[in-house]
Amino acid sequence: MNETAITAYKDPKLPPPVDLPEGPEWVGVLKVFDAHVAETLVAAAHTLYPHQTLPERVYRRTVVAFDALAARMPAVAQGFAEFVDLVDGAMPVPFRELSESYRVNTLKGIEATPAFRLVQRSTVRFLYDDLEVWQAFGYEGAAVQLGGYVDRGFNDLDWLPEPPPGI
Amino acid sequence: MMTSYDLDDAGVVVIVGSGAGGGTLAHELAKRGVEVVLLEAGKHLTPDDFVNDEWGGYEMLSWLDKRTASGTWRAAKDHPFSPSWSCQVVGGTTTHWSACCYRFIEDELRAKTVYGDIAGASLIDWPITLDELNPYYDLAEAKMGVTRTNGLPGLPANNNFKVMHAGAKALGLNVSTGRHAINSIPYDGRPATIQDGFTITGDKTGSRWSTLNVEIPRALATGKLELRPQSRVVQVEHDEAGKASAVVYVDAAGVTHRQKARAVVLAGNCVETSRLLLHSKSARFPDGLANGWGHVGRHYLRHIIQTVWSIFDKPVHMHRGEIMAGMIDDYVRHDPARGFAGGYYIEMNSMGLPTTAAFLEPGWWGRDFVSVIEQYRNMAGIFMSGEDMPQPGNRITLTDELDAFGVPVANIHYDDHPNDLKLRVHGYKTLSAIHAAAGAKRSIEAPSYPASHNLGSNRMAAKAEDGVLDGHGRAWEVPNLFIADGSTFATGGACNPTLTIVALAIRQADFMAERMAAGEL
Ligand SMILES: Cc1cc2nc3c(=O)[nH]c(=O)nc-3n(C[C@H](O)[C@H](O)[C@H](O)COP(=O)(O)OP(=O)(O)OC[C@H]3O[C@@H](n4cnc5c(N)ncnc54)[C@H](O)[C@@H]3O)c2cc1C
Repeated sequence: MNETAITAYKDPKLPPPVDLPEGPEWVGVLKVFDAHVAETLVAAAHTLYPHQTLPERVYRRTVVAFDALAARMPAVAQGFAEFVDLVDGAMPVPFRELSESYRVNTLKGIEATPAFRLVQRSTVRFLYDDLEVWQAFGYEGAAVQLGGYVDRGFNDLDWLPEPPPGI
Repeated sequence: MMTSYDLDDAGVVVIVGSGAGGGTLAHELAKRGVEVVLLEAGKHLTPDDFVNDEWGGYEMLSWLDKRTASGTWRAAKDHPFSPSWSCQVVGGTTTHWSACCYRFIEDELRAKTVYGDIAGASLIDWPITLDELNPYYDLAEAKMGVTRTNGLPGLPANNNFKVMHAGAKALGLNVSTGRHAINSIPYDGRPATIQDGFTITGDKTGSRWSTLNVEIPRALATGKLELRPQSRVVQVEHDEAGKASAVVYVDAAGVTHRQKARAVVLAGNCVETSRLLLHSKSARFPDGLANGWGHVGRHYLRHIIQTVWSIFDKPVHMHRGEIMAGMIDDYVRHDPARGFAGGYYIEMNSMGLPTTAAFLEPGWWGRDFVSVIEQYRNMAGIFMSGEDMPQPGNRITLTDELDAFGVPVANIHYDDHPNDLKLRVHGYKTLSAIHAAAGAKRSIEAPSYPASHNLGSNRMAAKAEDGVLDGHGRAWEVPNLFIADGSTFATGGACNPTLTIVALAIRQADFMAERMAAGEL
C-alpha cells in the first residue's frame, strides 16, 4: 500500500474512542444488544465493508456505536433486532456462521428492507468515523489544534505541475 | 447589555432567521437606526463550541427536524427525511457554508427572455436588472471580504486544486482558485485562513465571513438589535387590514410568546419560510399568508449540484486546506449549442473520510466500494453548481404529521426536468474529463447530496400573478411582510446563491428604511 506518514487526530473536545477488550468479552460494554445480536451485526458490518487490512476491533466499535443509538432510540433498537431476525432466517445456518458468499447473498436478498438500510447506513456512519480507520486510509481529521495545514502540507502535492502563483 | 424590546412594542421590525439573509438584514436595518428583534430557532454558539469533526459539526449545526421528500430526485431515495441541508443556529447556514461567492450574470436575470419557452418550466425574468443589483454586489463583496475583489488576493492553490488545474489546463479551460468570503490575508479584523479544511463545521478561527462573526455582533453594537436565540417561530399573524401584526414563537423553555411588529421579515431558508407562510392560514388567507396566487412553496429550486471523486496513483490529501478553492467558468454562459438551457460553474470539493464515504453513493456496499474508499488519500474531488428549471409542481407542501411545535412537517417534491438531466450528464462528463486529463485511474459520479442551495419557493416577480413577492422581496398581498432568504429568487442562476442573498438583503434594507422614513411602513 502507498503509505505516507500521516497522523490522524480526533478533535480534542470530543470523547476519546472506546477501549474494548480484545477477547469475546468485548460485548460486556453493550447496553442493549446481547452477544448474538452484537456478533451478528459485526459480521454484517464486515460483510458490507470487508477491509482486509482493518482489525476486528474497528467493526466492534462500530457495533458499540449502534448499541448507543439503540439505547437512545427504541425504534432503532427494534430495527437492529429485525435485521438480525431477517439475516438469521435466510439460511439453515445462523448468519454469523455463513461463508462469505452466502452472507453477501443474504444481504443482497434484503437490500430493499428498512432494516438493511439502517444497518448499512449506520455502518458507513460509524465505521468511517473511527480514528484507526482514518489513520489507515490517510485522513488526518482535526487540524485546528495544530495550526491547520498552512505550514503542514496544504500544497505539498509534487507529482503534477505547480500552478502559477496567483492563479 | 443587549437592547431589549417589549413583546407589545409594535414599532419593531421582526426578522425570523439569522442566516445569510436575516442576519445581514438585521445589521443593515440596525445600522440605519431601525429597531429590530431577531428571532432565531437555534442556539447562540461561539467559536469555542465548534469542533473540527465532520459528523460532530453536522450534528451541532444542522436543522435536524424531520422533513419528507417525494419525486424523481435522488434525495427522495437517499435522504428521505433530510432532503434539504441547512442549519439551525445563530448565523444560520453561514456557519457551515464554504463561501464560494459569484455574481449572477445578466442573462440569468432574464432567463425567460434568453432561454425562451421550455416545456414544463415556469421561467420568468427577474423583476430587477443586473445594473440595479451591481452596486449591492459591490457592498456585499466588501463586507464579506470576497477574494479577488477590493484588492484582496485569491486563495492559494492547494493539493486538490493542483489536480483540477492540471486537468483544466490540459483541456484548455479557464481555471483559477475562484472567489471566496474567506480571508487569504487578514481583513476586517478577521485572520487569514490557516487552511484547516473545516469551514463547514463552524470555522473556529473566523477567517470566513458569517453572519455569526460579522453581521450580528455589529448589529448588536448599534444598540438597535435584540437577538433572541432558541426562539422558534410557529405563526405569522395579521390584523384586520390584512397587514402582518405579530409573530408567535416558542422559547427554549417551551413557553409561547407573541411579538408585535411593524413589519415582519421571514428569512428561515426556503423550506421553513414557505412552511411558515403555508401554516399561517386565516379566514382572510385560507391557503396561507401571501398565497392568493398559489405560488407559495412552488417553483422550488436546488441547483444541479454533483461531485466527481477520482482516484490517482499518488497521494492528494484533498482534506488539507480550504475545501472549494477552485473554479472554472467556461460553461457558465447559456449556449443553446450544448442542447440545454442555462449553465454551470465547476468548482472544487473535498470532504473528509467520514462524509466522502457517506455521500460517494449512498447505499453502495461490498468489495468495489471498499477498494475505492481505501484509496482516500489518493482521491480528488471536483464539483459543479448549475441552473435547474423552475417547475410549478416542484414544491414545498404541508403533510398531516405535526412536529413538536404543532406545525405540520414539510414535504419537498422535486421531479428532475429533462433540461436538468441534460445539464447533469454534460456536467458529469466534463468533471470526469478534467480528472482524466490529470491522470485519474477511476472516477465516481456521486449523486447530489441533500439540497444545500434552496431557492425560489417564494419567488419575486414583476407581476403579482407570477410570484409571491415584488422586486424588493415584499409580499404582493401583505404590504409589510418581506422575505430575505434564498426563496425570493425568481430563477436560480448557476452560481452559489449566498452573495446574491446578501446583496438583496442590503438592497431590501435600503428600501425598508426609505419607506419607514417616508411614513409608509
Ligand atoms: C455544506 C454547504 C455548503 C455551502 N456552501 C456554499 C458556498 O460555497 N457558497 C454559497 O453561496 N452558498 C453555499 N451554501 C448555501 C448557503 O449556506 C445558503 O444559501 C445560505 O446560507 C442561505 O441563506 P438563508 O438566509 O436563506 O438561510 P440560512 O442561512 O439557512 O438561515 C436560516 C435561519 O433561519 C432559522 N429559522 C428557520 N426557521 C425558523 C423559525 N421558524 N423560527 C426561527 N428561526 C428559524 C434557521 O435556524 C437558520 O438559522 C452552502 C450550504 C451548505 C449546506
